[in-house]
Amino acid sequence: MTRENDKVLSIQNLTMNYGGKKVLNGINLEVASGEIIGYIGPNGAGKSTTVKIMLGLIDDYQGKVVIFGQDIASGDPSYKKRIGYVPENAEAYDNLTAMEYLVFTGELYGMGRDAAQAKAERLLGQFDLQDVGHSRLSSFSKGMKQKVLIIASLLHDPDLLFWDEPLSGLDANSMMVIQEILAQLAAQGKTIFYSSHIMDLVEKISNRIVLLVKGEVVADATFEELQGMSEEGSLSGIFNQLTGFTEHRNKAKDFVSIVQGDEEYA
Amino acid sequence: MREFQSLKFLSVFKGIFTRFGVDYAVMEKILEIKLTMDERRVPTIFGENGKKKKEGNQFLKSLWIYGLYSLILIPFLLLGENYMYQLSLVFGMILFILMTSMISDFSVVLLDIRDKNIIQTKPVNKQTIAAAKIVHIMIYMTFVAGAFTTIPFLVGLFRHGIVFSLIFLIELVLTILLVVVLTSLLYLFILRFFDGEKLKDIINYVQILLSVGVVVGYQVLIRSFEFVDLNMTYAFSWWHFLIPPLWYGAPFEVLLNGNTSSHFIAFTVLAFMVPVIAIYGYAKLMPSFERNLEKLLSDTKTRKKPRNGLDEMGAKLLCRSNEERVFYRFAASMMKKEREFKLKVFPVLGMSLFFPFLFIFTYSVDGGLEEISGGNMFMFIYFCNVIIPSVVFMLKFSEGYKGSWLFRAAPIEQASSAYSGTLKAFFVKMYLPVFLFLSIIFIWIFSARILPDLAAVLLGGLLQILITYKIVNEGEFPFSTSFEFAQESGGAKMFLLTLITGAFVGAHFLANAFDYGIYVYLVVLLAAIGIGWRMVFPKTKAVAAF
Repeated sequence: MTRENDKVLSIQNLTMNYGGKKVLNGINLEVASGEIIGYIGPNGAGKSTTVKIMLGLIDDYQGKVVIFGQDIASGDPSYKKRIGYVPENAEAYDNLTAMEYLVFTGELYGMGRDAAQAKAERLLGQFDLQDVGHSRLSSFSKGMKQKVLIIASLLHDPDLLFWDEPLSGLDANSMMVIQEILAQLAAQGKTIFYSSHIMDLVEKISNRIVLLVKGEVVADATFEELQGMSEEGSLSGIFNQLTGFTEHRNKAKDFVSIVQGDEEYA
Repeated sequence: MREFQSLKFLSVFKGIFTRFGVDYAVMEKILEIKLTMDERRVPTIFGENGKKKKEGNQFLKSLWIYGLYSLILIPFLLLGENYMYQLSLVFGMILFILMTSMISDFSVVLLDIRDKNIIQTKPVNKQTIAAAKIVHIMIYMTFVAGAFTTIPFLVGLFRHGIVFSLIFLIELVLTILLVVVLTSLLYLFILRFFDGEKLKDIINYVQILLSVGVVVGYQVLIRSFEFVDLNMTYAFSWWHFLIPPLWYGAPFEVLLNGNTSSHFIAFTVLAFMVPVIAIYGYAKLMPSFERNLEKLLSDTKTRKKPRNGLDEMGAKLLCRSNEERVFYRFAASMMKKEREFKLKVFPVLGMSLFFPFLFIFTYSVDGGLEEISGGNMFMFIYFCNVIIPSVVFMLKFSEGYKGSWLFRAAPIEQASSAYSGTLKAFFVKMYLPVFLFLSIIFIWIFSARILPDLAAVLLGGLLQILITYKIVNEGEFPFSTSFEFAQESGGAKMFLLTLITGAFVGAHFLANAFDYGIYVYLVVLLAAIGIGWRMVFPKTKAVAAF
């Protein structure tokens, strides 16, 4: 499948100040369709802020963000029709049933009620959730709820996905299914922006890795390229090296010795 | 999901919304979802406990109480044609009810940040989100206003005719607008200047102040009328412009009594213009409101370790076991930190500080302080005992109720020490300060002769704490239930428990009828507390109670 306009997303010199502190420090990023981008970085690096800016939740940034050829600062929300989003912390209206939540989301994206309903039912079925479709989300386990949110982000067949820690709470089998879904969606030309702290997964899923440290992009390459640049074999090793963190063994040792030395504190 | 009558009615105004750039169909969907969720405020856990599962909108079911309250408006409507006096009072009460309900029940809706992540990430424009939010609140405020004014409205219609009720209706709409929009604008203003936890604290204190302020303001309103020969006359002064209920009394005076004094005209203009200007300002400022809501999530400051010298001392002196001490400290910091708790409790504390004086000065028309100091008015200090049931009841709720698994997971030997520690902390941190403050002023007014009486009040308070706990809280851990249950399960039981204070007052008067009777009463109270405490908090391994 080929597309007329390959460039899905373009970020130019994105800066964001928060309370006198620079959260984002001049980010540049060009994303083409069909890419699966693993967006990684230590806590507080500015990953969520970037995603929130792209979704229009934060609008007092400096720089330019263009999605599907539209400068999002224009205030017209229609570009969001082609975006799917899985928020971190599995935020949802818990008092709704899974079906109600899915249909509501579909309708917000401009789908008809019946179409959203039929599609949601079938997708729930694929995850073996059809029996609990009319139970409230508040009674769901973390993994079940996560599956519902994943379905909610795909219901309207978006071209660009923002997934923030999408696999938290899922069992190993479901993870494999999701992983395969992502690969197939990308093959269809969908673009996936994926952030996670589980490095093994990012390593397997992504075909491009963007590493953010203190509001700056410090690495932007495929996993193989990153391996070539570093002596570490695994992504978590590369992650430690690029973020300048080598102390883990000593830290762990100190921690354990404090746990065991309780006679000093009793 | 079912159809909502209120949404059907709303579609009448579709044109207006569309003109403001609102996508009506989307707004309707959002509202439908919100109303559906409101109907389900009661979590499913409730059903599993074997109790009857309640469906439907709990809020709407609690509306009848407003209908009951509204009966106090009727005398003011029947009285006569002194509209300025009567209707200022009526609208004062309407504003009071709407404002309290807005602050305590709907601030959450206004400050909800889930909307941001769930709805704003979808292709929905900002006007639509803002409109959905305000309409959602308006629907409920209309229900509250409706419940509170239907009976008075009908009474007014029969007594004063059709023009009167038309003015009444228009003013009602204006007051709803005024309350909702002004509250939003106030939050907007605070959101601009603060962020994170500090912001939440400030919003919390503003809410507390507002709810106390509304009560105090209402009292001031009554006093702005002079009582002359049972005929209330209104005398204008400039500061009356600051009291909104007076604005809403004036139109009746102008239109029905033909009174065209310039200040009445000015009030009428204010009554109409302020809500209109406010809603225009709201429409302009709402985008920045939504943007600043984000600040609620972020906290940039790091805090120093606080020092709790007094709490330490209280825990050491008052608690007998280590476990009890742990819970004393825990409860003390929960009471200090938990905003929802403070929001529910501090206004009540504020009123218990305010009401004794209000009553003393209301009932002492002539004679002055001399006259008062010889009398029995110090008994009004029992107001600080009236609040005990509602506060003790609140001790079992928390925003973080889900964290209470800890109490069951931790090896707690004596579960009852959880509550005994908590009650002691409540006594020291909340009851005692109020009581001491009142006592010091009362001793200054009434001289040291009332010391034994004060002791009786204090012991009575302790006993009441114990009784309330036994009836409403026993068998649960403190801070372990969601606030969602706070509204429905109070009710009649709470009211009866408040009446217990009356029993104490009665006993106290009885004791004072005899020489040295008060000392006998003190001994009886002491014994009752001693025995009661041992019965309620027995020294056994009380695991079975749970």
